[in-house]
Amino acid sequence: MRNASALAAAIAELGVHCSVEARGALALLLPVSSSFEALQSPDTRRTVVALARQHGFTHVAIELPSDRRSAGRDADAPLLRD
Amino acid sequence: METDIAPDTELTLAQKEADLAAWLVARAPVAVGFSGGVDSTYLAVTARLRLGSDGVLAIIGRSPSYPAAQWAAARQVARSFDVPVLELDTAELDDPRYAANPSNRCYFCKTELWSKLVPVAHARGFPTVADGTNADDLGDWRPGAQAAREHGVASPLAELGFSKQDIRDASRRLDLPTWQQPSSPCLSSRLPYGIEVTPARLKQVERAEEALRALGIAGDLRVRYHEELARVELGPAELTRWLEPGRFATLRTALVDAGFERVALDLRGFRSGSLNVLHGVGQ
Repeated sequence: MRNASALAAAIAELGVHCSVEARGALALLLPVSSSFEALQSPDTRRTVVALARQHGFTHVAIELPSDRRSAGRDADAPLLRD
Repeated sequence: METDIAPDTELTLAQKEADLAAWLVARAPVAVGFSGGVDSTYLAVTARLRLGSDGVLAIIGRSPSYPAAQWAAARQVARSFDVPVLELDTAELDDPRYAANPSNRCYFCKTELWSKLVPVAHARGFPTVADGTNADDLGDWRPGAQAAREHGVASPLAELGFSKQDIRDASRRLDLPTWQQPSSPCLSSRLPYGIEVTPARLKQVERAEEALRALGIAGDLRVRYHEELARVELGPAELTRWLEPGRFATLRTALVDAGFERVALDLRGFRSGSLNVLHGVGQ
């Protein structure tokens, strides 16, 4: 029912590149730092929340990376995690 | 900020206020379970205005689940409006049924509160004990309301049809500082059901929310506890503001300093009863 990988792929189509950690009904997005600019738009956030719901999650949150981690993620390919 | 109240609403609210005055006079003197929140402050101050200082007693139940900042605010507003206050310590965390944090946790908390507060009120000559439950609350998952009924606690605001907005409008007319105060449920509401409620966890959440207030975050705010992760719920404008790439590191640092290893911003933002939804409670 809950599909973190499919959610990550759907969100990527909005220009929000991230991996998704499923914590029960909470989808935790682990983004690259450039994703934050897209999420400043309320419309984009609403779309992400709707996509999360479609993929079985009641809540979706974006992790705030430490400077070190965000720097690393920008250089890495997105990672899908369950 | 000026807001106009539509004439029909004005009339309705005026009638409700008259009904409340009559209700209080008929049942005086009245003790009020007082938290310093929007609802109980309105009820306590209205009772003070209608019944005089001998006609009301606002009783605060203190425990680790009651934020210190709210306690201070409650005492301040009572002083400002000359509402007599009595403070009692409650020990809901000593009840393993409460500490286990089941979905009906509030029932055990309110049972502890009212089992201490009601006898004290009666012993001091207050036959009527009331709380600030409003009409909107009746549609929510509120197991604490059962404990109130079991202890004979009245809910005049709900009974007389006061919505939350009615109470805010009426509070504004009385110049109560609470009129636009965000709702402020107890700190245990930040822990998902099934996660044990401990003084340390409550203090961690309290520290975190105080740290965010110190950053200037106004309005609705919750720090939801998910073990090592803090999930922060903010209003839409604050959420947009704190998603700015140059800004969120400050927020993260504040919550790491409060004891969380990881910090996340909820993309839907603040919603009351968020953890009920997460756990499918009361749906």
